[in-house]
Amino acid sequence: MKNEQMTFDELNLSDEELFSRVDHNDLESEKITAPRYSYWRSVFRVFFRKRSNVVILTLFTLLLLFIYVYPALVPYDQFANLMDSSAKHLTPSAAIEKYGFSLEWIFGSGKSGESTFGAVWNGARISISMAFICALINMTVGILVGAVWGFSKKVDIVMTEVYNIIGNVPYILFISVLVLIFSAGFWTMVFALTVTGWLSIAYFIRTQVIIIRDREYNLASRCLGTPILRIATKNILPFMTSIVVTLVATEIPSYISYEVFLSYIGMGMSEMSLGKMIYEAENAMLTPGWQFEFWTPVAVASIITVVLYVVGQNLGDASDPRTHM
Amino acid sequence: MTKYLMKRILHGLVSVVIVVGIVMLLIYSALDRQLIFAMDPTYKQLGNNQKEAYMYRKWEEYGYIDYVPYTEYLLELTAKGEITEEERQSVASFGKKPENDSEDVAKYVQRFTEAYEAKGYTVIRRDAKMQTPKKYVSGGQQQLFAYKDKPLFSRLVGYFTGIFSVDNIHYVQEDIENRGLTFTLHDPLYGGEKFSPAIIGNGTKHKYLLYFDNKFPFVHQNLLQINLGKSYAVNLGVDVFETMTMPQGSYVLSTVAYPTGLVEESADDLHTAVYIAGSRQSSMVSSDRFTDDYTSVSTVKNAKSKVGFSFVIGILSSLMAYALGVPLGIAMARKKDRLLDKLGTLYIVFIIAVPSLAYIFLFKAIGGAMGLPTTFDIDKSSYLMYVLPIVSLALPSVANLMKWLRRYMIDQMNSDYVKFARSGGLSENEIFTKHILKNAIIPLVHGIPGTVLFAITGAIITERVYVVPGAGNLLTKAINMYDNGVIVGVTLFYALLSIISLILGDVLMSLVDPRISFTSKAR
Repeated sequence: MKNEQMTFDELNLSDEELFSRVDHNDLESEKITAPRYSYWRSVFRVFFRKRSNVVILTLFTLLLLFIYVYPALVPYDQFANLMDSSAKHLTPSAAIEKYGFSLEWIFGSGKSGESTFGAVWNGARISISMAFICALINMTVGILVGAVWGFSKKVDIVMTEVYNIIGNVPYILFISVLVLIFSAGFWTMVFALTVTGWLSIAYFIRTQVIIIRDREYNLASRCLGTPILRIATKNILPFMTSIVVTLVATEIPSYISYEVFLSYIGMGMSEMSLGKMIYEAENAMLTPGWQFEFWTPVAVASIITVVLYVVGQNLGDASDPRTHM
Repeated sequence: MTKYLMKRILHGLVSVVIVVGIVMLLIYSALDRQLIFAMDPTYKQLGNNQKEAYMYRKWEEYGYIDYVPYTEYLLELTAKGEITEEERQSVASFGKKPENDSEDVAKYVQRFTEAYEAKGYTVIRRDAKMQTPKKYVSGGQQQLFAYKDKPLFSRLVGYFTGIFSVDNIHYVQEDIENRGLTFTLHDPLYGGEKFSPAIIGNGTKHKYLLYFDNKFPFVHQNLLQINLGKSYAVNLGVDVFETMTMPQGSYVLSTVAYPTGLVEESADDLHTAVYIAGSRQSSMVSSDRFTDDYTSVSTVKNAKSKVGFSFVIGILSSLMAYALGVPLGIAMARKKDRLLDKLGTLYIVFIIAVPSLAYIFLFKAIGGAMGLPTTFDIDKSSYLMYVLPIVSLALPSVANLMKWLRRYMIDQMNSDYVKFARSGGLSENEIFTKHILKNAIIPLVHGIPGTVLFAITGAIITERVYVVPGAGNLLTKAINMYDNGVIVGVTLFYALLSIISLILGDVLMSLVDPRISFTSKAR
């Protein structure tokens, strides 16, 4: 192999051309030379360091495509084949035989002749949208209230009482009474899941804030006269990022689970969400040849929640600055 | 410690009252009252004025309002002795229109209106709707009644003062002889010769206030009754507490000797006799069997109550959860980042992320394929049918226990006392079981009373999937049927359980960990 290193002698340059004089600068000498650290770049670097995360993120994107883009490309009409009695409750092979092979019929058809594949993604769109909106509202309110709750002793006394009382009302009671009061629709469901849902998040955040609030560096910061707002945003918030991301990762699947659960006990929304599909196909589980109608929404709901959870957990791990070394 | 506990209990009770208040506000004020008629066939058949009166009558039965029709007011006056029976009959039928009222009737209608409007009631009079001068439109009869929404505060006070009722000898309103309590050492139901102490009441609601029999817990009392709220739609006229604790299943026949001397094969439990006024006169069945009007008895059935089923399944599944979860959690912490830990984490992720409905169905399918019974049958005595509900309930709690125990143990593993123990030459086994576990288990101990107590309430999905006749779906059933009494009763029950389990959890924690103390001095 050829040695590519050159020596300066080979260039035939004079000393004046090779070196130039730099003046001493007090300001420059104060600078600390360290690798540039950007928080979010490190988060993604740590996140993508794990090969499995790439796979799971691809899966996540694929799911989102199917949930939000596929229904726009292939219009789904639940009652398109309502009058065709030979189109109902088809097994995958029978459906493919009838319509020819296409992605739409790989899970067979349901009780009104609709394609199960299309129904699942349509339902998933409703469930996921609901989960995202609920998470957004609950997290925003929960974090804001939780921060105040953790900082102010007066608020703490009042809110702890409120938490103890509301926590004793069976959650399912709250939701079902709300569903009864307003008609069972998408936004009722969102309202029912958010009206008390933020409280437990706020309590969790409050505990975390109290733990971090009394650490020595914050004490020092307060002694130096840093205003509370800056302590909250600069000293405490960065610590909370990974906690919040981890929390979101558990919250979003739990909303989907809740929706499935409520639909199953007959208190869900009127739209054909995943939960409602499972509820309506419960009898199909025991009927030979119809099982696909039941297991498809169950499997898709499980895949979605697992993917969301794993992505969230790993993102939460990556956003913890302690893993950035 | 005692002072602290008293404070906690008081605090808890206050919050229970507030919770019940919130629930009452939700269901009695916020809910659309028209909803209860959605499935009511009678409502659909009725028309005009009758329909309106029916609505108000139903609303009273569901506890929304106080409803007093004119005829009831007159009966009340008669009972008080203000008017005689003849007078009552003469003024009972009021005119088709106010103008048609006779002078006497108009006077009493006026009195009725004034009396109830003064009490804050709204008095409604609907004129008759006629097809021809002689013939009413269907349901078009004239109506006169007063109604008032029950205010939340008096509803709350009434509810909480009515929770405990002590049976007394003035319960029976009719004239009966020899009111009083008798104490006997020889229960007449056992022939009057066998030694068996009992307190028998006359004039009380229950005949036997205290008695012994051969069923657990052998001594029974009817003196103190718990009323959580009368059911309307779920179990007509029966209290929630009784609905939850009443035996289910088919009748158990035994030879019963009735007070009249009649002996027959029956499932009646004569110790539960309750007073029903005039029951012997109205029914041959009662008069053939009983010598007094204590004729309403409950029956002996062969299966457990709703709470009983839920409790057995709940307790066994929690035992299974602790028996599996604790060792697995320890093993995961010890073999951190090894295969077992990874498999365990996979399982935990599965349980947390997958909707509970999905994995319960999965367990059901797997269990069914293994030949286990997948539905619960109350009449079968096979114990195999308990397996799947118990396993389905236990496996998620196993994951939960594993997750937290692993977390707490790993947090403890880096502590100084562990390093010290290791440098002192203790074996890994000793360090884990004697030092780390003792510290890591403390937060988990807090949850034990909750697990035990909430076994009573059952698990909604599991019981529904496996058709277990437990208490789990009582609340959902009540909500679906708009049974307000049951909703309030079950809420109170849940709230009490959660307060008790929190307090017991704290006590248990302070017993396990002497460093935790609730006396103010230690702070």
